[in-house]
Amino acid sequence: MAEDDSQSQELATVRELCANGVCMRTTDVEAKLDEGNIHEAESSLREGLSLNFEEARALLGRLEYQRGNVEGALRVFDGIDLQAAIQRLQPSVNENSNSSSFSSYSSSISSHKKGRANRDSQTAVSQHAASLVLEGVYLKAKSLQKLGRFTEAAQDCTNVLDAVGRIFPQGIPGVQVENRLQETVSQAVELLPELWKQAGNYQEAMSAYRRGLLHLWNLDNDCCARIQKAFAVFLLYSGLEAGPPSLGAQVDGAYVPKNNLEEAILLLMVLVQKIHQGIIQWDPSVMDHLTYALSLCSQTPVLSKQLEELKPGVVQRIDRWNTLALCCSAAGQNKYALNLLRKSLHKHERPDDLTALLLAAKICSEDSHLAADGVGYAQRAINNAQGVDGHLKGVGFRMLGLCLRQLAKIAFKDTERSHLQSEALLFLDAAIFFEQDNADIIFELGVQHAEQRNLNAALHYAKKYIDVTGGSVLKGWRLLALVLSAQHRFSEAAVVTDAALDETAKWEQGPLLRLKAKLEISQSRPMDAIETYRYLLALVQAQRKSFGPMRIDSQVGDDKVNEFEVWHGLANLYSSLSHWKDVEICLRKAREMKQYSAKLLQTEGVMCQERGEIQEAMSAYINAILLEPSYAPCKVLISAMLSKMGSNSVPVARTLLSDALRIEPTNHKAWYYLGMIQKDDGRLTEAIESLQAAYILEESDPVESFRSLL
Amino acid sequence: MSDGSSSSSSSSSSSNTDSPTATAAPNITIAPTGVTTSETPPPPSSQTQSSIRSLSSIISSVPSSLSSSPNPSFSLLHDSTISSQISSLLRHPDSGSGDNNLCRWLYDTFHTTDPELQLVVLRFIPIIAGVYLSRISRRKALAGFEAILLALYAHETTARGDQPMTVHVPDLSQPSIYHEAKPSIENKATELNLAVTSSTLEPHGTMRSTRRARIVGVALELYYSKISQMPVTSKIEFCEFCEIWAGQDRENFKDGEEDHGENNGSNEMHKVKKKEGRIPLPWELLQPTLRILGHCLLGPHGSKDLFDAASSAINSLYTRSLHDIDAKAILATSSLLRLEKMALDPKANIDYSEIEMANVISL
Repeated sequence: MAEDDSQSQELATVRELCANGVCMRTTDVEAKLDEGNIHEAESSLREGLSLNFEEARALLGRLEYQRGNVEGALRVFDGIDLQAAIQRLQPSVNENSNSSSFSSYSSSISSHKKGRANRDSQTAVSQHAASLVLEGVYLKAKSLQKLGRFTEAAQDCTNVLDAVGRIFPQGIPGVQVENRLQETVSQAVELLPELWKQAGNYQEAMSAYRRGLLHLWNLDNDCCARIQKAFAVFLLYSGLEAGPPSLGAQVDGAYVPKNNLEEAILLLMVLVQKIHQGIIQWDPSVMDHLTYALSLCSQTPVLSKQLEELKPGVVQRIDRWNTLALCCSAAGQNKYALNLLRKSLHKHERPDDLTALLLAAKICSEDSHLAADGVGYAQRAINNAQGVDGHLKGVGFRMLGLCLRQLAKIAFKDTERSHLQSEALLFLDAAIFFEQDNADIIFELGVQHAEQRNLNAALHYAKKYIDVTGGSVLKGWRLLALVLSAQHRFSEAAVVTDAALDETAKWEQGPLLRLKAKLEISQSRPMDAIETYRYLLALVQAQRKSFGPMRIDSQVGDDKVNEFEVWHGLANLYSSLSHWKDVEICLRKAREMKQYSAKLLQTEGVMCQERGEIQEAMSAYINAILLEPSYAPCKVLISAMLSKMGSNSVPVARTLLSDALRIEPTNHKAWYYLGMIQKDDGRLTEAIESLQAAYILEESDPVESFRSLL
Repeated sequence: MSDGSSSSSSSSSSSNTDSPTATAAPNITIAPTGVTTSETPPPPSSQTQSSIRSLSSIISSVPSSLSSSPNPSFSLLHDSTISSQISSLLRHPDSGSGDNNLCRWLYDTFHTTDPELQLVVLRFIPIIAGVYLSRISRRKALAGFEAILLALYAHETTARGDQPMTVHVPDLSQPSIYHEAKPSIENKATELNLAVTSSTLEPHGTMRSTRRARIVGVALELYYSKISQMPVTSKIEFCEFCEIWAGQDRENFKDGEEDHGENNGSNEMHKVKKKEGRIPLPWELLQPTLRILGHCLLGPHGSKDLFDAASSAINSLYTRSLHDIDAKAILATSSLLRLEKMALDPKANIDYSEIEMANVISL
């Protein structure tokens, strides 16, 4: 450290000025400068090194600048008429036949290439003189910058670039350019936008960046990449919408970004490509800016592509897997995300990464066949949520609860299922202890209680959810209405539905209107229900007309008015009224949207059964099960028919019913028919239990399944 | 809720006329002096003067220098005594109701045709949105705030027409102004990924609760579009509300967990206080929020205070995104956090515009 210091001190103090093959110590000159005697310093230089006036001044200015005496440097530079010097350097325009127009030189790459061959040699001769003067102007700009006079500095920097533009009207040729001149040019190109930013003139900064990047300054790769990155950062974060680059800068057929964000993304992607091609060094910040920009646009698949193309070893592979998993998950590709997480969470990789564990658990919690894995991830997350990460313990509990709930859905035995359900509830309760206000947990608790038919608790959470979210989430209103309907408080449920309709924009009213129709049916007001369905159909038609591909609303998604559902609901309604002609019409309409549907076959079967067409009914139900083997309602309907057909069919009916109950444990009709079969068998205790279950479940049956909320 | 907007629009004239205050009179006489200098912008419009006059009936002290300034709207935007008075009124527990004078003033001011005056209203959007969203769950009358937010939303709806805001993500196999590429012959039609950054706006006359996040989000988008003209304090206020919205505070939670025996009452209190404003953060609200925070963190404003406020807000939102396991939010916030660290790292910030400091200076 001390060595460094002394070395740098030495560097700072002992200086030499060299020119024309002669070198001289600066001590004398510096002393004169310190006395404020610029002229004397200048003349001693001119004598000692045989220089002309401008050369001497330029050297002096640089000396003052390096000594940190920027004000002195300014005084020296002010003594030279830089403008005049620049003008002297310019070749006459006629010399160059290719420079047909001033504005075209900047963009026309092809004409530049042609012009390169016959660059005149005069410019090469004058380059040395030019570099001297331009370096002087550049240092003047730097001095002004250090004094906080940014606008003046920017003006001088612009002068440098203007002069270069006039000396090389075709852009700087790749060869034959003097190093020092090129260095000054590159530095000026890089400095100018910074100066405008410091001056607070963002509009000028924007054009300075574009000028730097779109004109041919012969910048080296690193310098060009730095400017591109700085510009991308400026575009991304300045908050200034400057409009697209001007038409003058456009090359035929080339893509021109139309706004700041587009331009920033383009630049960052160009930079990433340069990294891929090995033109520039890896720079993690480029990827971070791009990640920020693309996730704001919800374009994470593009980001994954960029990440995948990085050479191995550039980013640590676990980091890459985890980021890729986040990208996939954000784009809804949970399967891919989980595969990546499985790799990164492998015991030889980074098995304790909390974010990865939680994301994996979340993905698993959405699929009952993955839920068992999810339980493991959630438990690991809970174990690892220690110390500063202690606050994530609650999230782990929540995921554990959700995974157990999924597991309960596919549990084979009744006891196992109820055990899993109460476990799920337990962990959700634990989760809410950590985060009282977490709306998601409140909702999940509401649904869990509702599914277990703890309707009072469910009601409590449903209300709380609406409070916490301020009624801003549609499914909260639906949960409250469904819980009320399960309590047979239909009129209150209808009030809630109406309130929800008031709080909802037209296109999101579909699920609420469907609910409203079902509530009207439950209140024995079929005509009102038909009206509601009619309104729904009108809405569907209006929606089809006005929905362009651009309309992506966050809450619409799955809630979008589903025409198939409307026709199917209407068919069921007409069926309950025995309006068979109308049922047939509705079914035909529904089939146009979805040809093979277990639901539709069920409605058709019920219609046939009511009309006494037993064979047709049976084949409709069987087709439904063949189409969708886990479709419980038709299993129940078949069992009901079979149990009436005589003792031979009873065992089949019983099997079908227990199968149906495994799929839908709260299906009250299944419990009823099972109870009746048990009664006929003379197993009265079991029959009483089953019938009791049927009664309780029917009494607490919502108008739509609670599962439809998830 | 619905009558909030209409009532405040109709009452504008009455609030102006029935409040002739002492400061209002001299304003008119001083105004012409601004015209004498040739470089100053056109004389302060009567709209600005009447706006300042009606403001003086709402807040206790309006500096007299304001009306005499060559650009009163600009001064109004940047005057710290005025903004702190308005801010504290907006944060008052009873603010935001339909008959609130200040809300009316903001509503009317936004409806003047003077874009400079509209900036003054936008300056307070962080507080309005912040207080409004945090108070929703308390079922208070907030029609005044809603009227302002709806006015901004309506303004944007008209301005954007039927167009969504989109971004094309380029395909680098096609040449662009910033890079060369051999255009592939196979797909001449350039394959661009079209990303909708803000979907088409439906007109909303009332604040429907399911559209609330969208309406506030659009107000924030409007704020963002003018953010380079906003005073730093306004942006800092926004950052502070983001922290409240996130409702996450790692340190406090750790404390809370350690002393379960509730022997530390104050700590528990602090925890409750911190967590009070937690609100749902759907993407339509989070996306504009993150854009604003990106500017606050990495924009060319040069304010250390703002940088700190932004990094603290982003930290909270990162924690929140982990709690929500929201992949997109995790990606956006964690990348900002890494960039924050790099911004503080001197090694990553070399000044390449500096010349080489050699001890031999040659021609």
